[in-house]
Amino acid sequence: MKYFRLVWRNVFRKKLRTSLTASSIVIVLTLIVILASLLQAMQADPSGGRGANRLVVQHATGLGNFLPLSQRQRIEQIPGVVAVSPELWFGGVYKDDKPENWIGQLSTDPDIYFDKIFDDASIDPAVNAEWKATRNGFVAGASIAKKHGWKKGDHIILKGTYIPLNAELVYVGPYSAGDESNLFFHNEYLNQSDWVLANKVTGLYYLKVDSAESVPRVAAAIDKMFENSDAPTKTLTEKQFQLQFMEMMGNVKLLINGISLIILFAVTLIVANTVAMSARERVTEIAVMRTLGFGRGHILGFILSESVLMALLGGILGVLIAKILIIPAFLAVLSKTSVSIWLVNFRVSGRTWAMACIVSICVGIFAGFIPAIRSSQLRIVDGLRKVV
Amino acid sequence: MAIPLKYNLRNLVARKASTGMTTFVIGLVVAVFLCVLALVQGVTRTLSVTASTRNVIAMRVGSQAEMQSVITRDQADQMQAMPGPERDASGKALVSPELITLINVPREDGKTNSNVQVRGMDPIGMTIRPSVKIVDGRMFNAGTNEAIVSKNLSKRFASMNVGETLKTGSYRWVIVGLFDAQGSAYESEIWTDARGLQQQTKRNMFSSVFIRLADSEAANRYIETIKGDQRLKLEGKTERKYYDEQMITGAPIKALAFIVGFFTAIGASFGAMNTMYAQVSARTREIGTLRALGFSRRSILVSFVIESLMLCLAGGLLGVVFTFLVFNLFLTHPTGTMNFRTFSEVLFNFRMTPELIAGGLVFALAMGIIGGFFPAARAARLKITTALREV
Repeated sequence: MKYFRLVWRNVFRKKLRTSLTASSIVIVLTLIVILASLLQAMQADPSGGRGANRLVVQHATGLGNFLPLSQRQRIEQIPGVVAVSPELWFGGVYKDDKPENWIGQLSTDPDIYFDKIFDDASIDPAVNAEWKATRNGFVAGASIAKKHGWKKGDHIILKGTYIPLNAELVYVGPYSAGDESNLFFHNEYLNQSDWVLANKVTGLYYLKVDSAESVPRVAAAIDKMFENSDAPTKTLTEKQFQLQFMEMMGNVKLLINGISLIILFAVTLIVANTVAMSARERVTEIAVMRTLGFGRGHILGFILSESVLMALLGGILGVLIAKILIIPAFLAVLSKTSVSIWLVNFRVSGRTWAMACIVSICVGIFAGFIPAIRSSQLRIVDGLRKVV
Repeated sequence: MAIPLKYNLRNLVARKASTGMTTFVIGLVVAVFLCVLALVQGVTRTLSVTASTRNVIAMRVGSQAEMQSVITRDQADQMQAMPGPERDASGKALVSPELITLINVPREDGKTNSNVQVRGMDPIGMTIRPSVKIVDGRMFNAGTNEAIVSKNLSKRFASMNVGETLKTGSYRWVIVGLFDAQGSAYESEIWTDARGLQQQTKRNMFSSVFIRLADSEAANRYIETIKGDQRLKLEGKTERKYYDEQMITGAPIKALAFIVGFFTAIGASFGAMNTMYAQVSARTREIGTLRALGFSRRSILVSFVIESLMLCLAGGLLGVVFTFLVFNLFLTHPTGTMNFRTFSEVLFNFRMTPELIAGGLVFALAMGIIGGFFPAARAARLKITTALREV
C-alpha cells in the first residue's frame, strides 16, 4: 500500500494513453453488460425463479396443436393441483404488422389467474378486481404498457390471425413481474368467436400445485390421464416451458457468449500492449530503481498493479458511464426499431454490474502479467546501457 | 512531396510486438463482425433463395404465416377449380392445398427438443417446387403416413433417417426419403401427404394453397383474381413476397451485428490510436529530421494516417483469414434459429460473400482512419526545433 502513490503516478504519467486505454475498456465492458443483459432478457423467467410450483400442459406434439377444454375439470381433480387456467395464444396484430408493435397476447381465467396461479406477479388489488369485472378488459406488463403509453380506459384493437376475431379491448392496469412483454384478457371474451365456440379448445393449461414435491407426480398423472385420448399432453415445469423457446433460438446463446469472450480477449491485448509500451519506455528507470535496492518482486508488483489499477479505473468508469449514459441512450435508440420487443425485459442486474468490475480486474491481471515479468527479469546493466 | 510508403512499412515491421498485437486485435474485431454478418446473410438467403415469383401462396386474409391461416375444404375445392394454373403432363392443375402443423421433436443428441414444421401436401406439390429434389429413398405415397424430410433436418434431429419411424404424441410417420431444397426454408420441414396429416391430427382443413403459374405476370393476375373473389375471402402472395416478409427473423441478429460492430470498432480504434501515439512520440526526432529535410506538415500527416491504415488493413485481412478458419473448422454444419413468425426452427448456413469481405475491410480501414488521424495531427504539429532537441 505504501507504494500506491508511485503506482498511481505511473498510471497517469501519460494521461492521453491511459485515458484511451481506459476508454476502450469502458466501451468493451459496456458492450458486455449489454450482451449479458440481452441474454438475461431473452431468458426472462416470468416469476424470477419463484415459479417452481407451476406447470404448463401443452399438446404432446407441441404448441401448434390445441387441447380440448374438457380436460380442465379432469386436471383440477388431481390431488395436489391448486388451480388450473386454460390459456390461448391469441397472436393478433396490434396497429400494424411492424415488429415493434409485437405483443404477447394471452387469454386466461381472470378469476384465478393473479390470485392463485401467477401469484408472484404484483398487481394492484383494485386493478385486479376491476379487470375481473370488465369482460373486455386487459392487463399488461408494466414495461409494455409504458412502451405503448396506455392509460386506463384506452381502447385497443388486436386483429385476429388464426382466430377470426378482432379483439377490441380496454386497458385496466399494469402488472409487474420478471416477464412484462405480455397482455392478458378474459377467456370469456373469445367466446364471441364462432371458431372458439365450435372447437372448444385452448392452447395450453397453466396450473399451480401445492408444493414442489407434487410437481413430478402431478405432471406424470396428467400425461398418463390423456395418454390414449385424442389429445395426448406433455406437462412441463414453467422453466422447461420457457426453455423450449430458448432452445429454438438455437446457438444464439453460444454466439453471444463467444462474442463476449473474443472481445474480452481483444481488450486484454489492447491493455497489454499499453502496459508493455510504457514498461519498454521505462527500462532505464526500472534499472535505476533496481540499483537503488528495489527487488525483482517489487518491479513485478508495480507493473502488475499499474495494469490492474488502469483496468479497474476503466471498469468502474465503464459501469458508471454505461449506467448513466450509454445504456439509456441505447434503449432510447432501439426502442423505435424492429427489435424493441427484445428490450421489454431488458434490465441490468446488480450481478451483471459486479461481474463487469470483476472482469475488468481480470483483464488487468492478464494484460499486465507478461510485461511485468519481462520488466522484473531485466538485468540492471542492460537496462542502464539501453538508450531509449 | 510525399514520404515513401516504404518508410511506413519498415517502421511497422521494426516494431514487431506492438504492430503484431494491434493487428491481432483489429483482426479479432473484424472476425467477430464478419461472423455475425455472415449469420444474418445466412438467414436472409435461406428465406429468399429459390422462393419463386411464379408460385402463389393463398392464405386467409390477414394471416402472416401459414401456421395462422385456416382454409376450409370448400375454399380449397374452389381454388382447385379456378382457371389459370399450369398443368402437369397428365393435365392435372398445379394446385396443392397444404396443411401445416408444428411438432416438438428431440434433436440428434437426444438432450434438447425443438419445434419443426410438418407440411401436409398434395404430391403435386413436388412439381410446384422444381428446386426440391429427392436425394435418397423415394417420394411419399398419397394417402399414407409416409414422409420425406430434408437431408439437413435428418442430420439435426433423431429418428429422421430413411426407414425410421418418427413418433411424437400419437402421431407416426415412416420416413421414406430425403430431399434437398437448395438451402431454402423448406430444408427446415417434414413433408407428408395432406390427407394423411389431416387424419392423424383430426383436422379437416388446410393452412394454405400453393399454385404454380406460367410466369410472374400470370402470378400477379392470379393474385388479383383471388382478391377480387368476394366469396373466397383469401389473400394471395407470391412465394417470394411471403418469404421476404419473414425476414423479420433476421432482424434481432442484424441489430446484434451492428451493436457489436459499433462498440468493438470504437474500442479497437482506441487501441490503434494508442499504438500510433506511441509511434509518434518514439519517433519525434525522426519527424523533426523529416521536416528539416523539407517534408511538409501535410506530408507528415498523410504519412502517419497511411501508416495507421496499413496497420488496420493488415488487421482486416487477418480478420478475414480468422473468419474463414472459423467457418471451415467449426461452422460446417447448418445451424438453426427460431422463425418468430412460425415458432419453428429454421435451418441455415453461415454465408460469406465477397460483399461481406469488402465490408469487413472497409470496417478495418475506418478504424485505421479514426485511430490514425489524431496521432498524425500531433506529429504534423511538432515544431522542428523542439522535435530535434528531443532525446
